[in-house]
Amino acid sequence: MTNPVTQDRRHFEDLAIGEVINLGHVTVTREMIFTFAREFDPLPFHIDEEAAKRSLLGGLASSGWQTGALSLRMLVDSFLSKIASAGGLGFEDLKWKNPVMAGDTIGGTVTIAGLRRSGSHPQWGIVTLDFDIRNQNDKPVMTMRLANLVECREVAA
Amino acid sequence: MTRWFEDIVIDEAFPLGDHTFSEDEIIRFGKLYDPQYFHVDPELAKQSHFGGLVASGWHTVSVGHRKMVDALDAEAERLKAQGDEPGVSGPSPGVNSMEFKAPVRPGDTVSYELIVTGKRPSNSLPGWGLLFNQLTARNQHGEIVYRADLVGFSKLRDYSMPLKLRLLLALTKVPVIGSLLRRGT
Repeated sequence: MTNPVTQDRRHFEDLAIGEVINLGHVTVTREMIFTFAREFDPLPFHIDEEAAKRSLLGGLASSGWQTGALSLRMLVDSFLSKIASAGGLGFEDLKWKNPVMAGDTIGGTVTIAGLRRSGSHPQWGIVTLDFDIRNQNDKPVMTMRLANLVECREVAA
Repeated sequence: MTRWFEDIVIDEAFPLGDHTFSEDEIIRFGKLYDPQYFHVDPELAKQSHFGGLVASGWHTVSVGHRKMVDALDAEAERLKAQGDEPGVSGPSPGVNSMEFKAPVRPGDTVSYELIVTGKRPSNSLPGWGLLFNQLTARNQHGEIVYRADLVGFSKLRDYSMPLKLRLLLALTKVPVIGSLLRRGT
């Protein structure tokens, strides 16, 4: 039962620990911050420039969830849409290390940190991916370890 | 919640309300942030093991965050209405773990619940405390959609700054000394 959508993509067997995926970068504008925050994170320091100046962050900053969503988007474009991804399982140790301020450009790398076959589903493997997201001054803004399912070419016996 | 750190009760559960995910909003979020075929294309999604369109996990989690923010606001309003000053929540340092356990399909209604499982004063940020929150999202069948262990900052009400720190803070406001001190940090 081959999946016609993913049959020509890289499968679990084609991935190697240590592979580094270059994510490219994205500039986070004031408007992007307002749009995301109004829907998902309407805290004063994400939707009000004056309140943001008085907050712990010292200025308008993106929601941490937006930083994560934009990082995920970069990973989909550079990697997940090119492999036989079967969806995310979750993540661990997400750390927002520095705020992303309006006008910052974020980007970075994702490294394949682990590969294992699923114990319960012989058609799947699990790839663990370490994110290292930085701003234009090479300051770390977010790290996390994501676990994602990948279809195997050969089903385990 | 928007209570003072000192007033937060461990293991008290806060229902955060629910959200019904429409096909349109699943696709809209997917196109912006997670354009994998099973999040954006209902036809192609049939070929996936999900058997149809499902929401990006990041979408259901972002809605869960919104639910938490709304609950904080509601609690603040309640406290103000009874003449009390609400507490202050700060930005979050991170998430210890997030497990996606079941997919969310168009039309599913997800309810969210928050439990504060632990708290302690912050070591790195004087005057603030850390809250350890567990957020559980369930669908209309009672199945767990995701479970998260989150960390949040909450301001201490009964905090007085140590004399040494107050002195240092006052010095940072003196023009020349201040800029030297700030450069050092």
